[in-house]
Amino acid sequence: MILLAPTLVELAPAGLADAVRARFGSELRRVGAFTQICQLGAGACLDAAVSAGRLGVLLGTVRGAVSATRAALGPLRRGEPSMPFTFIATQTHLSGALLAQRSHEVGRAACIYLEAQDWPWLLRLGESWLGECERVAVGCVEEAADGKPHRSQWCLLVRQAAAGILCRPGGAGEAATTDDWIARVAAGAGELRGGQESWRFTSHRGA
Amino acid sequence: MRAAYVRATALASALGTDLPKAVARLLAGSAAAPRSLIGRPYHAIPLEEGDWWRRARSIAQTVAAELQRDAGLPAARWAGIPCVVGSSSFSIGAAEADEAALEPPVAFCRALAQCFGAGGPVLGVSTACTSGLSALHAALDLLEQGPFDDVLVLGVELSNRLSVAGFAGLELLSPALARPCDRRRDGMVLGEALGAILVSARPAAWRVAGLAAGVDASSVFGPEPGGGAVAAIMRAAIERAGWRPPEVDLIKLQAAGSPLADLAEARAVRSLFAAPPRLTSLKGAIGHTLGASGTAELALLLGALAHGAVPPTAGYEMPDPELGLAPCGGDGSDARRVLFNLSGFGGSVMALALERAG
Repeated sequence: MILLAPTLVELAPAGLADAVRARFGSELRRVGAFTQICQLGAGACLDAAVSAGRLGVLLGTVRGAVSATRAALGPLRRGEPSMPFTFIATQTHLSGALLAQRSHEVGRAACIYLEAQDWPWLLRLGESWLGECERVAVGCVEEAADGKPHRSQWCLLVRQAAAGILCRPGGAGEAATTDDWIARVAAGAGELRGGQESWRFTSHRGA
Repeated sequence: MRAAYVRATALASALGTDLPKAVARLLAGSAAAPRSLIGRPYHAIPLEEGDWWRRARSIAQTVAAELQRDAGLPAARWAGIPCVVGSSSFSIGAAEADEAALEPPVAFCRALAQCFGAGGPVLGVSTACTSGLSALHAALDLLEQGPFDDVLVLGVELSNRLSVAGFAGLELLSPALARPCDRRRDGMVLGEALGAILVSARPAAWRVAGLAAGVDASSVFGPEPGGGAVAAIMRAAIERAGWRPPEVDLIKLQAAGSPLADLAEARAVRSLFAAPPRLTSLKGAIGHTLGASGTAELALLLGALAHGAVPPTAGYEMPDPELGLAPCGGDGSDARRVLFNLSGFGGSVMALALERAG
């Protein structure tokens, strides 16, 4: 399995609307902050990777759409009606449909909630998804919290042939979390571990 | 591809917390009338107990005990079993009372897994109404790659006002009753459920013959009106199973009583089948249980088929000529190949092909 275009998009909450407008021409307000952050990262990754074919969108997150969820809980607690678009924004799996609307043939899409140290499960699942999709966009996305910016880390997995980073399970590995794994992969770190397994990453010139 | 089987099932739903009794109620057509949640009809699990968490734990422990009995695995085996949880709301109901209780969804998933004694990795999956089947799909991924021989799949949706208010705001709810495929259908009625499935590489009564998933890009609010996206996924599941459409004995429809979504699904069915096989929908009996519907409806359906019966479609009385479908309960003893449809908010469309083993 080859990993292409490891991409990290970080931005301050105040800059999200401008970044989304600059990228997509409008704010995508109906889908909320979380999906907008996803779209920025996935878009940058797919732009950077030369690829084609049926796409899987496999998104991992620890906390999910926290800001929209808090925004939706407030009116409920006050006994006020919930705004439909606030409810929509609590849904974390919308990136697949939005990418499909942007001319990608999306075969499978899901949001996976996991603990930060379990990020390798995304690679494990992505490898399996390659049985159904020619390419799988894998993302780790978190809204800003505790002084950290919005963070949208993505890579594109393909079966073989392309030049990129060869991913193989196994090895001793250095521990990594969703906070830093893609940056380490992009920097060419050899082995990373998380949860119950490890992955080795080596440069691959292509067939 | 590694073979996968449904080894054990358990369920808590509006039909009760005991699956055999729930199946008996379903087949007798004696589903309880929906209760009310923020002024909307709602199919609640009939269990009153303390606060949200205490009730959730009680429901999970009851379902876990039933699943463990049905699975017949030694206790030690559960310690290494992974758990994949599908939901669209996770523990949001707890946070409605106390925002401090808003926690990462996987923490709720881990608490559920512990109730089942499943000590392996824990993942949550969200694809809205198809979350339970997406969790099953992820479980098949884990089985395929090993080293696991069994994976616990939970679909869960427990009482919360956010989902009801959200779907009400989108004007997708019926004011009274879900009537799947009925001429008078006017929207969904939501419900709560915890459906548990143990999928296994070891042979059992039903084999997962094929599972197909896709994204309908036409709108996040509902399916493409012509049913093309739903038909494509149904066709893909049938092909993965190695079947031809005339070999399908029964379709468990997504049909939730939504005027447009039921119509799109009907068009999909009619485009694939010159003469549709037997049809059933379960959402009139337990409500649309959103992220739980995949596992909850699968548990109910297989429970009914174990009795040799196709469940009746609660709420369906008057055929809609525009749909051209007539769900019908009755003898199901010869149903060997079953297609199980789900689709959901946000464009997710799935179809599961199940074949009676042996």
